[in-house]
Amino acid sequence: MTFYSFTGAIEQGLVFGLMALGVFITFRVLDFPDLTVDGSLPLGAAVSAVLITKGYNPWFSLGPAMLAGFVAGMITGILTTKLKILHLLASILTMTALYSINIRVMGGRPNLSLINSTTVFDPLRGVVDKLGINPWLTSSILFLFLASVVVIFIIWLLRTEFGQALLATGDNPGMITSLGVNTHFTIVMGVGLSNALVALCGALTAQNQGAAEVGMGVGTIVAGLASIVVGETIFGTRRLTVRIISAVLGSVIYRLAIAVALSVDIFTPSDLKLITTILVIVALCMPRIKDHFRNRGNRSNA
Amino acid sequence: MLEASELTKYFNRGTVNEVMALNGLDLTVTPGEFICIIGSNGSGKSTLMGCISGTAPPDYGKTILNSQDITLWPEYKRAGLIGRVFQDPLAGTCASMSIEENMALAVRRGRRRGFRKGVGNHERELFRSTLARLELGLEKRLTDPVGLLSGGQRQSLTLLMSTLIQPKLLLLDEHTAALDPKTAGLVMDLTCSLVEQERLTTLMITHNMQQAISFGHRLIMMHQGKIILDFDQADKARLTVRDLIQQFHSAAIDLAGHLSDRLVLG
Repeated sequence: MTFYSFTGAIEQGLVFGLMALGVFITFRVLDFPDLTVDGSLPLGAAVSAVLITKGYNPWFSLGPAMLAGFVAGMITGILTTKLKILHLLASILTMTALYSINIRVMGGRPNLSLINSTTVFDPLRGVVDKLGINPWLTSSILFLFLASVVVIFIIWLLRTEFGQALLATGDNPGMITSLGVNTHFTIVMGVGLSNALVALCGALTAQNQGAAEVGMGVGTIVAGLASIVVGETIFGTRRLTVRIISAVLGSVIYRLAIAVALSVDIFTPSDLKLITTILVIVALCMPRIKDHFRNRGNRSNA
Repeated sequence: MLEASELTKYFNRGTVNEVMALNGLDLTVTPGEFICIIGSNGSGKSTLMGCISGTAPPDYGKTILNSQDITLWPEYKRAGLIGRVFQDPLAGTCASMSIEENMALAVRRGRRRGFRKGVGNHERELFRSTLARLELGLEKRLTDPVGLLSGGQRQSLTLLMSTLIQPKLLLLDEHTAALDPKTAGLVMDLTCSLVEQERLTTLMITHNMQQAISFGHRLIMMHQGKIILDFDQADKARLTVRDLIQQFHSAAIDLAGHLSDRLVLG
């Protein structure tokens, strides 16, 4: 693996770590499998790209991008809570609708180039160069900073009264309702927050790779799950703080693993989603496989 | 304290499976009263609790609690007034969260939850001293996940949690039914001491006739969505388990009588 493919994998791991944190909030905190993310990632990219091409500050464009993601998540939440549509189906509905919306946002095109536009990385590149660091690492440094901020934010949030209510909503909704929490509200807010983070990831990815593209969200949920399960398998699931940090670390390890896989000649980039899916299946089955072998051991001892 | 009038609740309304779970039930509970509710399966006991707690709002009727008309309040809004313990010992706590986190959730019952600390430092002392009453050693395990506790320990914790903020009304839905006899006895003793100490207005559903006779100030028997017997403390003192079982049988005969009427008319 070359230096560039290595740093590229770290960079991607960190930026998609933001997405993994979003998926962590729905999948692990709220126990809500949310496929909206496949649509809200390009939504964030589209909103940011459109604003940048219209001449807005690239930093400013991240705000509306996150807001758009938040609203997309809220819609899934409202479909689930108020209209009683199964969460998985509700999120597929929002995701499907977002495909059309994303093309509309980009003015009827399936993609929008940012090649000649200023992004959040351009002013930083000079600063990084002056500090004597390879400017190639600019985006990695920025993503590391942003991922750390979001990790700290989520650790803080989940320790607040509201965050504890979110955790309880995922664990035992009947109990927390009997203690006066409106779970419809916590679900809508939680799924909204999750998709805001995913949209932020989409906006930054678009700026980093120089284009927003309607198909860039395909497989987001699978990559997010892969990051979480890789993190949990390596760093354990005992403490919540550790689990939050390991979602980002899992994302980095996952991207590194992909880079290694792609450096082997038999695989092409289009095999990526197949490899990821197999990885997720294995990781999700791991506890059961372990149990199976443990029980066999017990039986032979007896 | 609680005034329920003409509560009526149907299930599967308008289908061949229509069931009238509550049939114009009236119930007035005075402050500090501890009422035991008995009745056969399907007599409407749990539906009555559901109407009061908001999980199954009635089709007709009115519920007034603490001089507020709560008939149309959603369940989470009523929670500020009502403490609840469920039949399933796992239903009242969050397994993945610690003992102190669960108690902190309960101490905020009915309050707005903002961005202050989820578990306040000053609260831990309160939690520790409250848990010490159980004599289960839980006060030393504040940060242990509740999932590690036994059913009896979890039910005791749920009971403590439901009274951590004094409720205007405490609803106990067969809360000892899933426990072994010894643990059930301990949880029942704890129930009595909490209810007496705080003079809590309490409704307790039970299938245990001895419990129904020994505990509380009033005993109600339900049948087909109505209250068919209502004993005050003096009447209760004279009751035996045998009398109650007798009443169950006569209620069943009454039902059979209705059936035969229908058969004749049919």
